[in-house]
Amino acid sequence: KNISDFSLNITDCTQVVVPEEVFFTVAAAGILENLLVLIAVVRNKNLHLPMYFFICSLAISDMLGSLYKTLENIFIILCKMGYLTRRGDFEKKLDDAMDSMFILSLLGSIFSLLAIAADRYITIFYALRYHNIMTLRRALVILAIIWTFCAGSSIAIALFSYEAATVIPFTILFPLMMFFILCLYVHMFLLARSHAKKIASLPTTTVHQRTNMKGAITLTIFLGVFLCCWAPFVLHILLARFCPHNPYCACYMSIFHVNGTLIMCNAIIDPMIFAFRSPELRNTFKKMFCCAR
Amino acid sequence: MSALRLISNRTSQQALANSDYTWEYEYYEYGPVSFEGLKAHKYSIVIGFWVGLAVFVIFMFFVLTLLTKTGAPHQDNAEPSEKRFRMNSFVADFGRPLESERVFSRQIAEESRSLFHFCINEVEYLDKAKQSQKGPGLESNIHFQEVPRSSGMFEEDLNCLTKFNIPNFVNTEQNSSLGEDDLLISEPPIILESKSVMQSSHRILD
Repeated sequence: KNISDFSLNITDCTQVVVPEEVFFTVAAAGILENLLVLIAVVRNKNLHLPMYFFICSLAISDMLGSLYKTLENIFIILCKMGYLTRRGDFEKKLDDAMDSMFILSLLGSIFSLLAIAADRYITIFYALRYHNIMTLRRALVILAIIWTFCAGSSIAIALFSYEAATVIPFTILFPLMMFFILCLYVHMFLLARSHAKKIASLPTTTVHQRTNMKGAITLTIFLGVFLCCWAPFVLHILLARFCPHNPYCACYMSIFHVNGTLIMCNAIIDPMIFAFRSPELRNTFKKMFCCAR
Repeated sequence: MSALRLISNRTSQQALANSDYTWEYEYYEYGPVSFEGLKAHKYSIVIGFWVGLAVFVIFMFFVLTLLTKTGAPHQDNAEPSEKRFRMNSFVADFGRPLESERVFSRQIAEESRSLFHFCINEVEYLDKAKQSQKGPGLESNIHFQEVPRSSGMFEEDLNCLTKFNIPNFVNTEQNSSLGEDDLLISEPPIILESKSVMQSSHRILD
């Protein structure tokens, strides 16, 4: 550990440490919340709809992210206490498995958000045929494809993480997906606006001329939360690959644990902005807790 | 994390002979990183990144706000029911649980009619014969302007909804909503109490 003192100023960037209690609390809250969403959707037959399945997929990927961080912390603690050897082969494999779990979580989140956006897009633009386009079976098939692809990519990325070729597509995928989701939602907004204009042109209707803030706020929250929670970590991976010895990059990488905590906060916030918006889901929760008493 | 492992590996390669390869779950070992002679503040990437992110999110918010401005002109109307007909959130009212009202009012008729505005895109695919029977808002954009405001339209609207198998709109539990307001909020577009609607919605769901 004396390495870090070698040729460093007193003012070097030390690791920003997040207390373990905070870490575990945030992780546990994320896991519990998403688990509740899953249970609610499974138990209530009315929620067996494609849209809720996509929300479940998002909940699963959030859970995986939080689970990863929890396990990682547990392993660090076990290492410090000496229960695990540091150079063991078993630990290395475990590390690989957990890396791939984390990447799976990130990819799963991105693709779930994409699926939710696409589902809403189809609901609006193909409204009358939605029920035929997005059947339950198709939704499940889509989810199966998404998760198979994510699992395969995550294992590949975890195994070949030393190659620059894996880091670059991984970091490009992230903004590309965000941009695509943004385009879908913007198109939906534009249609809503043109419809509102058509309605306004009716001779016998009153028009409230006001800016509709709520939709803009909602969409900004969606994408803003995802960006703010995942982008720091993605940047970290980029910097770790390309400039690990640059002092500026090193200072950025010293806040690694904060970035990890942000990802777990994303797991807590996502159910609130997706799942809990549905009154049916909220009612299911109330019933669940009332019956539990 | 793989990034951790990267750093650890590099560090271990350049490590002094007497230090161990402290395995990947330990904190970062940055190795011989020199912090001397920095021109900018050492946390400049951190600050720059977060400021850039904040600016981007705010910019996105303003762009979306501009997009959602309807900018339609004011029009006067004597009928009180139509004052509730909101242009900007033409399905927003659907999100309000009507079970608190529990009556079939004109308001419901208005809201269900505005539902058809969403279905405008789909109109061309539908059976013309059915449309000619049911009329309101289903033939084309032009036709729905002729929607009569008679009280008898409500039942017809419900029949239209059942006939055209509108997915998940007429339903007590909803997937994604459709108005600008509730565009991204999963609230039910319509919660109607009528038996016929319930039947149709269950049929739609099946």
